[in-house]
Amino acid sequence: MNGTRLFQSAPAALVTAVALCLPFLAPDFMLFEFSIAVCYGIAILGLNLLLGFSGQICLAQGALFGIGAYATAILNVNFGMDPIATLPFAAIITSLIGVLIGLPALRLQGLQLAIVTFGVASAFPQLLLKMDWITGGVTGLATDQPLAPKWFPGSQELWLYGLSLICAAISVFMLRRLLRGDTGRLMRALRDNPLIAESLGVNLTKARLAAFAASSALAGLGGGLFCILNGFISPQSFLPMKSIDILIGGIVGGITSMAGAFIGAVFIVFVPGWTTDINPALGGLIYGLCLIAMMMVARQGIAGLPIGRSLQALGGIFNKKDLSRVPGPLPGQLGGE
Amino acid sequence: MNILTVRDLCAGYGATDVLHKVSFTVEQGSIVALLGANGAGKTTILRALSGLLPSRGLVEFGGTDLRQCSPARRVELGLAQIPQGRGTFGDFTVEENLAIGAYTINSKRQIKEDMERWYTAFPRLAERRRQQSGNLSGGEQQMLALARALMSRPKLLMCDEPSLGLAPAITEQIFEIFKSLNHDHGMTLLVVEQNADLTLQFAHTAYVLEAGDITVSGPASDLLRNEAVQQSYLGV
Repeated sequence: MNGTRLFQSAPAALVTAVALCLPFLAPDFMLFEFSIAVCYGIAILGLNLLLGFSGQICLAQGALFGIGAYATAILNVNFGMDPIATLPFAAIITSLIGVLIGLPALRLQGLQLAIVTFGVASAFPQLLLKMDWITGGVTGLATDQPLAPKWFPGSQELWLYGLSLICAAISVFMLRRLLRGDTGRLMRALRDNPLIAESLGVNLTKARLAAFAASSALAGLGGGLFCILNGFISPQSFLPMKSIDILIGGIVGGITSMAGAFIGAVFIVFVPGWTTDINPALGGLIYGLCLIAMMMVARQGIAGLPIGRSLQALGGIFNKKDLSRVPGPLPGQLGGE
Repeated sequence: MNILTVRDLCAGYGATDVLHKVSFTVEQGSIVALLGANGAGKTTILRALSGLLPSRGLVEFGGTDLRQCSPARRVELGLAQIPQGRGTFGDFTVEENLAIGAYTINSKRQIKEDMERWYTAFPRLAERRRQQSGNLSGGEQQMLALARALMSRPKLLMCDEPSLGLAPAITEQIFEIFKSLNHDHGMTLLVVEQNADLTLQFAHTAYVLEAGDITVSGPASDLLRNEAVQQSYLGV
């Protein structure tokens, strides 16, 4: 984190300021969409930890998000728990399942691991349908929505938005603690050179599973929150594409930036809608072009884009020298060792 | 007393064996050189010893059979390796590199003490403790890799081609450090090298590896005078 911390603090301050100002600027229905973006942001934080900091790919983040959502829904519907009280459980349950998904990561890396985890994401919606005795199958589950208390001056949407921000703040705080300490160093060592890390006595098994556990816990928390906000979930909400969306959000935002996680989340929640607004028939095309342009202009993600230098970057798109500035972790780790 | 006994070690990549029943010993408190040309299997031996590569044959270290031990366990037992090309983490500061070298050490106090000790021994590292190690010179990186390996309090330090990519004067400096580690701290060293001339001046015992077999062995001073060795490695 050292060195990169300096330019990370500017986006972080900006994102925090925007998040706090939104209630005064955005109408209630927009606030609801921003709350949904915060959920995804938390799941993307988890992916950042896994992909950006420990160099392992997981394309099941959408499924883990769904597991968190179903954990919250089942605990609320079947066991009558208060929805907010279910959130820690959603995180823990998802974390445990994440470790199971992480087990293949002990043998597989890079592209193989991507396919294995995407397999989980593909199987997930079907699994939900088959387990209808607890998941409600195709009808899904409707949960109680925590109502704003009487003393709360704002709207219900604002109340839920506040709840989302608190969850996000807790996630960021815990992730920062994790990354600043020995664990963070360990994960970066794992990403930069697993072989050397192993020769120094690092227990790769433990470190890799720890990364999966922490990443999945965040996905689960995000999912639980998503369930609370929506008040209803069904297998349709957690199709395999959700995992890809989360990956896109992570990379577009900036895979090693916490602020970037939330910027990326806003991107995946709003941009597909905007591009459809521009031209309903060509929405997908415009969105696709957006993604391509994004990676040409901001290879390190939006959070890695020094404001003001973005114009320079535009001019340097086809400049060969720029190629050497491609950030380290992704290309290297996708190719294995 | 031998700290390391290797008998009939076979190892390789995929189906091909690079090592064909290699046997040698390392005596406690000595500097042992493993010489050989490119592709002779020197690095393969070190990788097999540190458990990064599966191998067959007996490897006994300090009375423990290493065959069942994970790489992490071997480090705990006191086997440290300085990888070829240094292998320092470029994104990490000097201090973070040292900290990860102490991964197997649980006592925070001991880690702190050791860091200070090696900072005293390598003042250049102390000056640059907060700098990213990727910005260090080759010689400084070699020192960092050495100090990082020492952080695990090894009983046997294995060093893979320390001279690689270093100016002759710097290489000599590194070997002087090895010598003082051996002399002042009683450290046992196993040094893998192509630079036979220099290595033989510092080592006590040497083995020459050719195409996965040990062909010559003996006291380093004998090897320096050995005609076959001179012809193959010293360019005399």
